[in-house]
Amino acid sequence: MSADINQTITRIAEIIIDELKLEDVSPATFDPDLDLVDEVGIDSMDLATIALVIRDEFGIRIDEDDYPKLTTIRIIAEYVADKRSGGE
Amino acid sequence: MAAPTPHGKTCSFAEITAIPAIRERWEKVRRYFFLRESTYDMTNRCNIRCEGCYYFTGAKQFAEEHPDESVWRSLMQAERERGITFAVLAGAEPSLVPQLCRICAEIIPCGAIATNGLKALPRDIDYRIHISVWGNDRTSSEIRKADNLLVRQMANYRDDPRAVFVYTFTPHNIDEAKEVTALLAANGQQITFNMFSAPIGYTGPLRHSPASLARTAEMMTELLHDHPRTVLFSAYNIVAHTHALGLHDLFSCPYPRRNPSTAIGLGRSFRQYRTDLQWDRAAACCVPDTDCRDCRHYAAGSAVVTARMFRHATDPETFAAWLDYVDTYLAVWMHGYTKGPNLCDHPVVPPASH
Repeated sequence: MSADINQTITRIAEIIIDELKLEDVSPATFDPDLDLVDEVGIDSMDLATIALVIRDEFGIRIDEDDYPKLTTIRIIAEYVADKRSGGE
Repeated sequence: MAAPTPHGKTCSFAEITAIPAIRERWEKVRRYFFLRESTYDMTNRCNIRCEGCYYFTGAKQFAEEHPDESVWRSLMQAERERGITFAVLAGAEPSLVPQLCRICAEIIPCGAIATNGLKALPRDIDYRIHISVWGNDRTSSEIRKADNLLVRQMANYRDDPRAVFVYTFTPHNIDEAKEVTALLAANGQQITFNMFSAPIGYTGPLRHSPASLARTAEMMTELLHDHPRTVLFSAYNIVAHTHALGLHDLFSCPYPRRNPSTAIGLGRSFRQYRTDLQWDRAAACCVPDTDCRDCRHYAAGSAVVTARMFRHATDPETFAAWLDYVDTYLAVWMHGYTKGPNLCDHPVVPPASH
């Protein structure tokens, strides 16, 4: 489970870096506990874009009302894991 | 207007954005996702008094003015520091305080000013200027108590690329839009459309009915077809703003007044300052004191529909309709942004959240 989560965290970091064209950070150095809004500076439209890519990549349904909860890469990874295990 | 088409087969976002026309428009509009707005009432005075005016409804009209330029400068600097990148200057009539508008534009370079257009704003204030139109000059004389209003508005903003005329449809001026749009087209000026949305407690004759919504949709469709270079609108704008349901019921309004979350987006950053430079989260939206059930306001849609990208990314047609809406919003609000041809020329059903 832990290895799966770590893989998901790395993949989500890649998606965020790619979609937002972030520089000076790599999937390996992206702190999964950084607050994406307060510390990375992403806003709702950025998060919607990321959510669409994650939806397609992991084959899960994401509720728009869940956006405010998805504040760190780790939380997103746990959300993905929960959805994939049938927790929705 | 033709009945909106149902949604097609669900596609991945990668499949949708692989279509060249959609990819190009998506890359064009996403460059503006940095925009974060707040709105500011500039003065409690106006040089006309219109029936159904939003400003002179509710408590904000009684707030005192803050004419001190240094106070405004401090406010706008603080706004910029907290991340606001787009200023909307409104109520009651910003052209009466051009010196304050200039300070706002100097500190936050992107913005728009809502004005009745009777007094020209100096050209060095480089914001988009929204000039309100409520019908032809006969109707303006009746509702706004101002004679020859459109003629004076057009003269004040002739050859001014900042200007866009905002025609507010009521049940009683639908046919007049044809005359007004033709005049503006002949004068080389642009128009977009607004819907009268009743203020709280309003019981007057301007509130729309199902029949007037349908007639407005037909007129908008005709004008968009006949004047594609003059009219800044799209088939999906028509659907969103003339639907039997208001914008909140269709798309769930993200402004603080209806959105308790402060985590992200408008719920986090939007403020609506009154003339005393105070703001109230419980009242904060783009047009305070509007009855949310009746809200089809163009300014509201610009945020409410735009914010719902996720639910529109289901198939190419629905996403193209959303892109048309965002392209229109940017052309209406961002000085210097040029609207492209609409990608979807027919109505699409607004998608549900799930």
